[in-house]
Amino acid sequence: MKKRLLIVDDSSVMRRTIEKNLANYDMEIIGQAANGVEAVQMVMDKKPDVVTLDITMPEMDGIACLEEIMKINPETKVMIITALADKLTGLIALDRGARGFMYKPVNADDLSRAFDKLLKRDGE
Amino acid sequence: MESRKEEFEATCNLFINSVSNYFKHLTEIDSDMKVPYLKESDGLVLKDFTGMIGISGSRQGFVYISANREMFADLINLFIGIEDPSEEDILDMAGEISNVVAGNVRANLGANFMISVPTVFEGMPEELNIPENVSMYVIPIKWNNHEAFVVLGLD
Repeated sequence: MKKRLLIVDDSSVMRRTIEKNLANYDMEIIGQAANGVEAVQMVMDKKPDVVTLDITMPEMDGIACLEEIMKINPETKVMIITALADKLTGLIALDRGARGFMYKPVNADDLSRAFDKLLKRDGE
Repeated sequence: MESRKEEFEATCNLFINSVSNYFKHLTEIDSDMKVPYLKESDGLVLKDFTGMIGISGSRQGFVYISANREMFADLINLFIGIEDPSEEDILDMAGEISNVVAGNVRANLGANFMISVPTVFEGMPEELNIPENVSMYVIPIKWNNHEAFVVLGLD
């Protein structure tokens, strides 16, 4: 069964870049969100299995969004993709339940390596 | 103890490295940095489209990246294969590159170097709140035959 993917980033170009670079994976892209508030609503409505999540966003940032997603469904596999390249932000995200963490800029190879690990780790 | 000038120059070098890494990692085309200079007079050095990030926390100020439409359009074409992007896409690209360049500096300066979401604009906006008494460091860059400015303003 195809995994259901939600892409969350305030940059439309970045969302489409992620969509394009993950096209070879056996995942159905169920939606895109431009901020944390939209993302939380889409997680409630569409119940994605996997979420790519930016941190610096308007309305609700990615860390607050991650906490809400974990309350709704702690089994959701969240891959943080952020420009915030400090270690503390990464540790906070992993502590709040993220399954993976990537620093922008990310290219197609970076995404492939990260998603290979994310999906393989869960035996999928 | 590091002087203010040395501290400022060290921070500028972090931004130069961040810009270089962005272009190299995503496009495999090196960017060239021209000789950076301090801008003392009022007013901003701008190209057609600009993405600006506010800086707070351990430092106060802003950083922006300004370039003509063609540079942002080339990046969009490389990333998602759109040859004639909308103005909205161009502004989005300006904001995203500014966000990544500023965010990456936190690898060295830590989480107390806080950045805002991007402000994007075309040309010179009528209202733009630029902090007073900032030193502006202009870094001219060239990537894929496109000229751009990275401008760092720090209190």
